Amino acid sequence: MILNSNGTKNSTLEIMKKSKSTITSWLKEHGDPEIDAFIEKNLAITEKVRLALEAKNWNRVQLAEAMDKSPSEVSKWLTGMHNLTLKSIIKMEQALGVDLIHCEPIKEYEYVFLGMINSTRDLKKKKADYVTSTEMSEYSLAM
Amino acid sequence: MNNFAEIIWVQEFRKVTYYSVSINGEGALYDQFIDKHTVENSEKLNHILAWLEKIGDKIGAYEQYFRNEAETGDARALPPKGRNREPVYVEFSEVTGKNENTPNNLRLYCFRANESVVFLFNGDVKTADTAQNCDNVREHFKTANTLSKLLDQAFVNKDIRWKDDFSNIIVEDDFKLEWD
Repeated sequence: MILNSNGTKNSTLEIMKKSKSTITSWLKEHGDPEIDAFIEKNLAITEKVRLALEAKNWNRVQLAEAMDKSPSEVSKWLTGMHNLTLKSIIKMEQALGVDLIHCEPIKEYEYVFLGMINSTRDLKKKKADYVTSTEMSEYSLAM
Repeated sequence: MNNFAEIIWVQEFRKVTYYSVSINGEGALYDQFIDKHTVENSEKLNHILAWLEKIGDKIGAYEQYFRNEAETGDARALPPKGRNREPVYVEFSEVTGKNENTPNNLRLYCFRANESVVFLFNGDVKTADTAQNCDNVREHFKTANTLSKLLDQAFVNKDIRWKDDFSNIIVEDDFKLEWD
């Protein structure tokens, strides 16, 4: 409880009346994880757009103009509930110059350091043979 | 004054605290909304509540995320939309058997006091072009506008005061909104 300047009591959470259920308790009991993930990802994208607009000092009308779209269409995209298409996302990325969805690059090679081996003449020959054989296989794969 | 409303706490997240009101000693409007639509429109309700949770926890109640429903007061509604366009979301269609973009016509009327405080009222499935022409939502829409105007005035009169950082509100124990 907080006392204000004229000495009367102010409501705090301890004494204020509460609703029967909270938002979180409803979602725990009835919520669909797929809807939850949809809203979370959607809002993450729209929030990135909002911050990118702030950084460029643009409003939504300027973004719409840059994409040759109507402002109302763009407003709908940025509500956090619209089912954005990949095409719409790419359009916004191009206009804003930011990555809205980050995808891991596809790995072509992965080098793993396996440790040192004290060399002998025999091992040196084996190592040289191995390098030659892998180079040849890479060459044949490239062909 | 024939009517009164008390402020009811719903939930506090990191970025937004949600409140509701109870009118003339009845249950909170938010509870009435939940009770009805958990049964009748569970999936649509799920979208709105998941959205409220994410906005509350991670983002804040920015204006772009609310639908303007001002008439006599500064009421807002959820879900949000682009101007003159229906919002769409993914819902399973019984007709086609697929997940499709579907207008979410379930409205939850509310009053966005600032980015940190939102009052949730009641709502229903809107079936006409305007709230005034829809038998389902007309009363909720009118009530939301009445309450929004009263809340706005209560902030002006300092009956509801802001914490120093505007992150939440302070009201006296016996505070009530009153109107004819």
